[in-house]
Amino acid sequence: MSNKIARVSALVYIALSLGFSAIFVAATYLTGKDYPPVARWGGFIWVFVLGMIITMPIVIPYVKKRYEK
Amino acid sequence: MARSAVMAQTSRRHAILPVEGMSCASCVVKIEKALRNLSGVIDVKVNLLAHRAYVEYEPDKIGIPDVVKAVQDLGYEVLHEEAMLHVSGMSCASCVAKIEKVVGSLPGVTGVVVNLPAESVKVEFYPGTTTKAEIKKVINELGYEATEKPQGHAALDREKQAREKELKRQKRNMWIAWPLSLVVMLGMFQPYWIFKDIVPMWLHNAYLMWALTTPVVFIPGWQFFVNSINGLRRGATDMNLLYATGIGAAYLIATINTLWPDAGFGGKGATFFESAALLTAFIVLGRYLEALTRGRTSEAIRKLMSLKAKTARVIRDGLEMEIAADDVVIGDIILVKPGESVPVDGEIIDGYSAVDESMITGESMPVEKKVGDQVIGATINKTGVFKFRATKVGADTALSQIIKLVEDAQASKAPIQKLADFVAGHFIAGVHVLALLVFAFWFFMGYDLFFTPESRFVLSPYSLGSIGVFGFALLLSVTTLIISCPCALGLATPSAMMAGTGKGAEHGILFKGADAVEATSKLQAVVFDKTGTLTKGEPSLTDVVAAPGFDRRQVLQFAAMAERNSEHPLGEAIVRGARDEGLELADVEAFNAIIGYGIEVRAAGREILIGNRRLMTQRGVEFGDLLAEAERLENDGKTAMLLAIDGKPAGVIAVADTLKENSKAAVARLKALGIKVAMITGDNQRTASAIARQAGIDTVLAEVLPQDKANEVKKLQERGLNVAMVGDGINDAPALAQANVGIAIGSGTDVAKETGEIVLIKDDIRDVVSAIEIGRATMRKVKQNLFWSFIYNTLGIPIGAGLLYPFVGFLVSPELAAFFMAMSSVSVTLNTLLLKRFIPSMRREEVRV
Repeated sequence: MSNKIARVSALVYIALSLGFSAIFVAATYLTGKDYPPVARWGGFIWVFVLGMIITMPIVIPYVKKRYEK
Repeated sequence: MARSAVMAQTSRRHAILPVEGMSCASCVVKIEKALRNLSGVIDVKVNLLAHRAYVEYEPDKIGIPDVVKAVQDLGYEVLHEEAMLHVSGMSCASCVAKIEKVVGSLPGVTGVVVNLPAESVKVEFYPGTTTKAEIKKVINELGYEATEKPQGHAALDREKQAREKELKRQKRNMWIAWPLSLVVMLGMFQPYWIFKDIVPMWLHNAYLMWALTTPVVFIPGWQFFVNSINGLRRGATDMNLLYATGIGAAYLIATINTLWPDAGFGGKGATFFESAALLTAFIVLGRYLEALTRGRTSEAIRKLMSLKAKTARVIRDGLEMEIAADDVVIGDIILVKPGESVPVDGEIIDGYSAVDESMITGESMPVEKKVGDQVIGATINKTGVFKFRATKVGADTALSQIIKLVEDAQASKAPIQKLADFVAGHFIAGVHVLALLVFAFWFFMGYDLFFTPESRFVLSPYSLGSIGVFGFALLLSVTTLIISCPCALGLATPSAMMAGTGKGAEHGILFKGADAVEATSKLQAVVFDKTGTLTKGEPSLTDVVAAPGFDRRQVLQFAAMAERNSEHPLGEAIVRGARDEGLELADVEAFNAIIGYGIEVRAAGREILIGNRRLMTQRGVEFGDLLAEAERLENDGKTAMLLAIDGKPAGVIAVADTLKENSKAAVARLKALGIKVAMITGDNQRTASAIARQAGIDTVLAEVLPQDKANEVKKLQERGLNVAMVGDGINDAPALAQANVGIAIGSGTDVAKETGEIVLIKDDIRDVVSAIEIGRATMRKVKQNLFWSFIYNTLGIPIGAGLLYPFVGFLVSPELAAFFMAMSSVSVTLNTLLLKRFIPSMRREEVRV
């Protein structure tokens, strides 16, 4: 049960964080500026790290509660 | 329904685990969150400064070892206790197995080792889950005899060891972080200012600085990475995560720019190794200073614990022997010589001495003790030799009760802490969101709009010219993470509360919780019970007025006969008065107490009625001119009681209770503090007014029946006043409970039984003033601490995020942010420590006198 919760949670917070990072990368193109690849992908990683940190503590208890119900 | 509720209740257990290694409010949130996420855990409350975690759990779903493992996985330590017992009666290996099996099955027991030849049992367990007494009990129930080996100070020593271990660890980290970081800083600054003349050029080599920074990040800084990963795995975040992301990001960028300068992160001109190194060094410095200063705020408990005597000189079977104080049993006769500590509570049976009770009651003068007097464990015998019989041992002694009360108080949370808890609890996620926004702003807009290649960090010589858009946005994002740490906010309230409750205990004033301290600071009115609180409570006979047809001695004799079985102090005063005059008192044939009115008795064949006017009116006895006599006596502050024999008025008897020595001074000081003072009593208005006049009290609530005292308090509260009721904890219990702050006075040593939020050990109403002053001083500290913490975060975050940069070119480096963060925590703790110097005004005067 707890493994399943962990798996589902991981899936959700990784997906959300990747979503944030994708939005960031998309924004670098949409602004029309010529960002160097390092800035673009470095930013992708930093946003992903922060996204994980933000979403993990929110998603894990949420998923756990849903499963317990 | 009811049955299932009961079953649910009985299937729950709770444990209070001692947790070491927490450094700020976020650790609290992290542990609470991680434990709540465990299946079977119902409730968790963690107290940062008491280093305790209260866990309520369902034993059929989860065990204490699982809870402990979860806490340890987060990077904290759960201390375990060790009990060394002497067990007699074991004969073979099966006894060993039996004891090991039964004791091992107790909740929280992690190890049992029985040594048959040595007749000893060593038990390791988590304190708060089971007790030594419980362990001894189960062994005794198996048919053996278990006694504790002398280890009274073991808990204290263990706590000290844990603190020393943490200090040693952080000191080691400082020795690694600081010298290396300073060298890295010199290397980074080498081409600038005067450094180019005094620092060799080879120190500016990027590879050397990378080699010097790496051990700083991975040895002293490793704790932050490990703790954050463990926390994240359980879905919890804390300050370690801020540090880890800050240090990690700074180090990673500098490393990439050194090893792969063309990777596009700013190249060799953006190798800010000193950021990563100094950031780690400052955080470690903060941890070290916190460990050093925070332990001192809980000194009160340690001081109390250290008062426990280690040994006792017991006389058993006529032989004098020295045994461990913990092995003293009720009924033991103990000999105490001058200069020795009294090991347990008891009653003197032989000898005379003066005993210093200041450590328990706060009373500075030694108290004379004679046969029949009570002695308190941990007090010090000053002059004579005496023997006493132990009446309370172990957890029942006054000292143990006081320690428990203070520990409980320090483990509680004040209402004002809720805001700080809420902020600290939601801060980490908020800060990371903010860091994300800061990064996005400077990446997409700020860099193009405001960045100039001449930009510098404050107190840094080199420019950020070669840093790219990503490096610049990342540095500001990291700085925001570091500067946002709400450590000071988490420490602000509990550290002051610990110091305040400790200060109270030092003066014999026991606050039962942090909420009591806060409520005391807000008091606007104090209501004193009269008898025994403002007055000595031992009235004596002053006047006997006989009605026509009766003589004085006859009136006194009948009144004393009626009161012979009374336990009321007024009745006792009459009986004492009659006996002093040598009057014979016949047995009572029938007795009926009419609460709030008086008594009705049949003695010597006569019907005797003694009580107040209402009683006589109710029974239709007309007192005529005698009422004027009663009034005159009452105007003098005496309590006049009317006596009727066989339905006829027989006389008036007056007794008087005098003010305590310090009542007037205490009332005057309360008024000077802006507090409204009132007196409540069952006495009539005139008697009450006379006493109130002497005490300097303007508001008198007289003729109040015991059950109505709470209503009177309520009436004052309805007028918008925060009211304290001061009285004895038993008779005045409803009024004490109704008041915003109930103050039980003169409780002596049985503090645990008292009603009310504050227990005053000494029978001295000046301690009411001291309690209010301590409450106010503590709350002043709380507010100062909260103010500075909020100011730090409120100003620090926008500056760290680069808000001032577009206007003044002002940028805070991550290491400077770490320095500010460390200083904020240390300044709050140091500010709290100033409370240690606080002395209540009346105590100051007493010392001066």
